[in-house]
Parts: sequence; C-alpha cells; structure tokens
Amino acid sequence: MMSLFAQVPVSTPEIQWFYLAPILILALGGVLLITLTSVAPVMRGRHISALFTVATGVLALAFLPFIAARLDGLVDPVAGQGGRPAVDLVSSALVVDHFTLWVSGLISVAVILVAVMLDGYLEREGFESPEWYALLLISASGGVILASAEDLIVTFLGLEILSIAVYVLAALHLRRSESQEAGFKYFILGALSSAIFLYGIAMVYGATGSTTLTGVAGSMTGRNAAGLSPAVDSSLVMVGIALMLIGFGFKVSAFPLHIWTPDVYQGSPTPIVGFMTSAVKVAAFGGMMRVFLVGFGGTFASDWRVLVLFMAGFTILFGSFLAIVQTNIKRTMAFSSIAHAGFMLVGLYAAASPVAIGDTGKRAVLFYLLAYTFMSIGTFAVISIVGKKGDGNHSIEAYRGLAKREPLLAMAFTVLLFGQVGAPFTAGFFAKFRVIAAAAQVERTEAYILAGVAMLGAAVGAYLYLRVVVAMFLDVQESPSTEMADSADETLALVEVRALEVPPATLAVVLLAAVVTLVLGIFPDIGSGALAEAALALVR
Amino acid sequence: MAQYLPVLALLLLGSGFAAINLVVSKLVSPSRPTEEKLAPYECGIVPGREPPHRFPVRFYLIAMLFIIFDIEIVFLYPWAVANAGLGRFGLVAILIFSALVFESFIYLISKGALDWGTLQVNRRLSPMVNEDRTVESTVRKVGLVGRFEEVESLKDALIDGNAATDSVPEQDGAAA
Amino acid sequence: MEVTTTWYLVLSAVLFALGSFGLLVRRNPLVMFMCVELMLNAVNISFVAFSRSLRDLAGQTAVFFVLVVAAAEVVVGLSIVVALLRRNPTATVDDFAEMKG
Repeated sequence: MMSLFAQVPVSTPEIQWFYLAPILILALGGVLLITLTSVAPVMRGRHISALFTVATGVLALAFLPFIAARLDGLVDPVAGQGGRPAVDLVSSALVVDHFTLWVSGLISVAVILVAVMLDGYLEREGFESPEWYALLLISASGGVILASAEDLIVTFLGLEILSIAVYVLAALHLRRSESQEAGFKYFILGALSSAIFLYGIAMVYGATGSTTLTGVAGSMTGRNAAGLSPAVDSSLVMVGIALMLIGFGFKVSAFPLHIWTPDVYQGSPTPIVGFMTSAVKVAAFGGMMRVFLVGFGGTFASDWRVLVLFMAGFTILFGSFLAIVQTNIKRTMAFSSIAHAGFMLVGLYAAASPVAIGDTGKRAVLFYLLAYTFMSIGTFAVISIVGKKGDGNHSIEAYRGLAKREPLLAMAFTVLLFGQVGAPFTAGFFAKFRVIAAAAQVERTEAYILAGVAMLGAAVGAYLYLRVVVAMFLDVQESPSTEMADSADETLALVEVRALEVPPATLAVVLLAAVVTLVLGIFPDIGSGALAEAALALVR
Repeated sequence: MAQYLPVLALLLLGSGFAAINLVVSKLVSPSRPTEEKLAPYECGIVPGREPPHRFPVRFYLIAMLFIIFDIEIVFLYPWAVANAGLGRFGLVAILIFSALVFESFIYLISKGALDWGTLQVNRRLSPMVNEDRTVESTVRKVGLVGRFEEVESLKDALIDGNAATDSVPEQDGAAA
Repeated sequence: MEVTTTWYLVLSAVLFALGSFGLLVRRNPLVMFMCVELMLNAVNISFVAFSRSLRDLAGQTAVFFVLVVAAAEVVVGLSIVVALLRRNPTATVDDFAEMKG
C-alpha cells in the first residue's frame, strides 16, 4: 500500500514574488478589503473602502517603475524573445515584460479613478458597501493576469476573473431594474462568448499539442519545446483562432458581437460603465494583442488579419452611424465606445504586419488605450454626476444649459468630448491619427480602404459628440425634457426637482482626465520611451 | 484574402437555399388556417395557470454556498493524492488556496448568510422586529414548549382588567 | 468498431452546438444557464480527448480550471437571476427588454 504514496518529487516552479507584485497587490487588496470589513465594523465607515482601493491602486502603480528597472537590469533576458527583457513566471504561466507593465499601469490608473468616482456615486445612491470596491480590485487583477498570460488556460482564467466580477458590478444597483437586466444580459452573452473562446483554446491545443503561447507559436513553425512536431492540423488551428477572435471580439465589443454594449452600458451603474470602457477594454486588448501577435503572429497572421480588417471596418461604421439616432447619452457613449474599439482594431490590423509597420501599429494601439482610458473615465464621471440620484437622468436634453449651471464641469466635458472626436490639440487626435497612419503604412488596397473608412467614421462620429456640446451651451430648456428615455413618469418629476450635486472628488477626476487629454494632445511624445518598449516586447 | 472565397460562396449558397425554400413554399402550398391549426401544439391538458413555485430565496443561497465549497475539493483531492511528491511547495500553495476559500466563509458569516430565522440585518435595523425574537425563541414560541408559565401569566393578566393593557402588547410575538 | 478520438470530438461538438442552440432559443433564464454549463462541459470533453490522444497532461489540468470557472459563473448568474425573479416571479427572457434603441 505504501508504494501508492511514495512518489518521486515533482519539480516545482520557483515563484518570483517581486514580479507578481501588481497582480498580488490588486487581488489581495480586494480580498483583504472584504475580510477587514467583515470582521471589523470600524472599516465599514464612510469613504474608508474608497480610500483603501485608491491606496491599493497607488501601491500597485508604485511597484511598476521598480519592476521596469529590474527588468532592464537583467543580465540574461529570456532567450528567443527578440532580446527584449522579459521574465517567465510560475513555469511559463505568466510573463512580465514592458507590455505587461504598460497594461498594468493603465488598469491601476483606471481602478484609482473609478474608485474615486464610485465614492461620490455610492454616497448619492445610498449604497455604502465595500463589495463594489472589492469586486473592482479583483476584476482589475484579472485584467492584469489576462494581459500577462503566457498560457492560454491562464488567459481564460484572467478573462473570467475580469468578467465575472464585472457581471456582478453591472447588476449591483439593486434599486434599478435596468441594472439587473443589464447584468443578466451581460452575463448570458459573456458566458456564451467565453464558452466559445474556450472551445477555440481546445481546438488550438488539439492542433498544436500545447497551451503555452510560445509552444503554440513554436509548433507552427515546426518545432516545440520538446523538439517534437505534432502534425499541426492547420484547419483546426484556423477554427481555433476564429473562435478565440469571437471571444475577444465580444469583450472589446467589436462589430458582430457588439449588440450587448448599448443595453449593458445604459443599465449598469455609470461609474462601472467607466470601468468597463477603460480597464476591461484595456485588459481585453492587452490579452488579444499578446495571444494573437505572440501566439498566432507567425504563420497564421495573414489569415486572421483579414478577419480583423473586416471587424475593424464594420465596427467603426456601426458605432459611428448608430450613435447618431440615440437620445440617451449612455447609449450614445456605448456606440462611441464601439467605434473606438474599431479604431483600435485598425491598429491591431496594422500590428499584424511585418516588423517595422507592426511596431507602429502596436504603439498606435497602446497610445490609443492610454488616451481612451482617461477620456472615457472622465466622460462617464460627468455622466455619473449629471445622472442625479437614481442614476436615471441620461437623456441628451438633460445637458441643456449645463454650461450656465456648472461652467467648470461643462468646460472639462467639452474638452473630453473634443478629445473623443479627435480634434487637434487633444489626445484623441493623435490616437486616431496614429492608428490610421499605421494602417496606411501597410500599403495594400484593403488597408487604404480601411483607413478611408476609419476617417469617414471619425467624421461622422464628430456629429454625435458635438450634439452634446451644443446642448450644453444652449439655454436652459424651453420645454421641460419630455423624452427621457429610461425613467418612468413619476421618477422623472423627482429627477427634475433635484439640483445637481457635484462631489469634489468626482469633479477632480473629470478635471484630471481633461487635463491629461489636453497634455497628451499638445505633447504626444510624453512617455513614448515606455510606449516603444511596451510595443517591442511583443516581438517574438 | 482569396482563401475566404469558399466561405463567402457557402454563405451565399446557404442563405440563397433558405430564401428560395421559403419563397417557394409560400407560393406553392395552400393556406387555410383555422384557429386550432394556429394554436401552439401542446401535449395533454392546456395549463390554466403557472404552477405555484414559492421557494424561499435562502435555498438558492445555500445552493450557491454549496457550490463554492464543493469546488474546493476539486483542487484538494489531486493535491492530497500527489502530496508526497509536491512537498512543501504544494503545502504552501494549498494553504494559500484554502485561506482564500475560507475568506469567503468569513464574509458569509458576517453577512449573516448562514443564519436562519429573521435576517440579521433586519434584526439590527428594523424597529418592527423585536430584538428578543431570535431563532430559539421563535421556535419555542411556535412549539409551545415551556410556554405554560407564559400562558398562565397571560391568563392572569387578562383576568385582571387593569394589567391587561400593559402586558398584552408585550406578548405580541407569542400571540402571533 | 473502435472508438477513436474523433468520436469524442464529434460528441463534444454536438453537445456544444446543443448548448449554444438552447441558449439562443430557450426563454427560461434557468434553462439558459444549464445551456451555458453544457457548452463549457462539452469543451471539457474536447480537452480530455485531445489530452489523451496527445499523451499530454495539460489538457486535463485545463478541465479543473474550467470546472471552477463554471462554478463561479453559476453562482454569479444564479444570484442575478434570483434578483430578477424576485421582481417578477414568472419572468422569461422576453420580459427583460426595458432597454431598447
């Protein structure tokens, strides 16, 4: 009997805790917050959870420069990665390189800003509970895992940690039935897409015999870690890639899979929508870039880039044109976020090209993510303020005369909206310009068409943002707003009576976002060193 | 892009086939609808109303909790089997994992998810709910066990007209 | 007749298709859940079949993680559905259409 248990020692991986710090801080921050508030009633006081979350985000952010310095100081970077500094962690489950750090930074910033915005929101709505913040932190840790996963199974785990927490957050406004409806729709469609994504992983695994990205990439060029070459069934790989593209396409709300976005954005609590458009999108694009460029970047790049091309073009067109007919600002912004995802896909299309253009494409997407994180969080912070108690005051009519009532807020909002338009001297201009320029550099007919479509989309999209700007600077409504899309008649009356309360912390978020939008628009080369390093890290 | 031509062809063929079939069957087939024909097909007696399914939400909660702790075993079992080979690394890993699962237990306790009877939150907050009405007292009051003295005192109180107004409201829970 | 890997893959594909079809046509939220579970477990069959044919353990480890993710999804989904059904006890998915546009 004893022989059953006498086993040879398994070789166990060495854990390099230091490089794991961002993930651990975010995840343990969430767990610790829940534990402390469970056992110590003192912790349940006002603002404490928000402060805790901000501190956790700042701590995670503070670790990044040290990790970057340690990475650059590595004597022997991992071989076969284009000579770029990278560290494989937990036996090739995760990889930390400059790309990981860039994405982690953006996610941490999103967590900090959303937590600040959430504080004012929860106080107004009367839900002072730590769960919101804990879920935010855990979701963010999933995002970092997704962007740094080196193994497709870990990619799936990261994707699910990221999404499941957000499903709950979407449904957490217990007094609005729209919120639960949004949570349910998001959940069902999200679960469908993750099942499809998982099926794609299974196909790729079956074809290549490996779930690690380097193993997958290696087997396609005829070798893998063990030196064996399973006869790679290329049709199976293609099916797998297509299925995984569907999974990621859902998360970034790309064209055929964007249907959930307007409903979910309209129903979910506004700060959470800010989180979805920033951290969730950043993480999903991070994971998508790593999986597709590192894993499938070699032999199959010419196959999937065509799919990305079509997705990108249609996403931009659908997002821009459908946004025009909306009367609810959250739905409008949902379509605008679909259009933005299309622009980022244009960059991804360019990134799939051979080396030099590919780098321009990657840099363009990463810069777009940076710009859009700040612009979208700022925008939704304003929407959250104007939403008033009950989070239902979201018709575009509600913005009439905002410039007179809240001049500072209106000015900042104007900057943010111009940023989303892509007007010069804002971050949005360079973001859009760079992805379109990268696509034009590909120098193929379809790439020129895509660049043309992107410019058309940008021009059409300008209308929807300017509509809001014009409303803000018009006089206070002549006719009391009758077409409020999503509030019943009796709540409508209540919403009208209540004055706009502007929490100073949320206003600070709006102003910060507006300032960053302007600064990045005037000095677009701030941080370009880190950007270039992050883009180069994806070369394998 | 040429490799996607078959896909396009298949799409066109597929949708064309479906469209032609729909159009042809619409044109060719005779249409004489009656009320019985249009009704959805049901087997057996047509249900008059939805069957009542009143379930305390608590049961869902308990089911969800079960799933959490059920899944813990999925990882504990392989660890237990391979424990000898894994050594200290495995032990530390499983301890971290168990701590995280246990954390959810702490959260549940603090939320009162495992309490039966009146919700803890209601007990603390609502002035409508009597502080003294705990799980034990509720069960005891329903079950008449050890209630004879109370009932006797209630009788005394009722007989004594002056005391009745004072003491009867306090026995509210018992009377209910 | 020998049962080869292909059989399991076909079984998995059929179950997956059944699950996704059910998810799209059924109107009861709870049944939709069961369809999600069916899809995830169909993928598990694929993983195990591939793992066996490749003589590689990674596929079987994946199944553990998928099981856990499925459980987490069920818990979250169930609580959202319970919250919805508390408002409207006989709701079908068609009733969740307050938001349109």
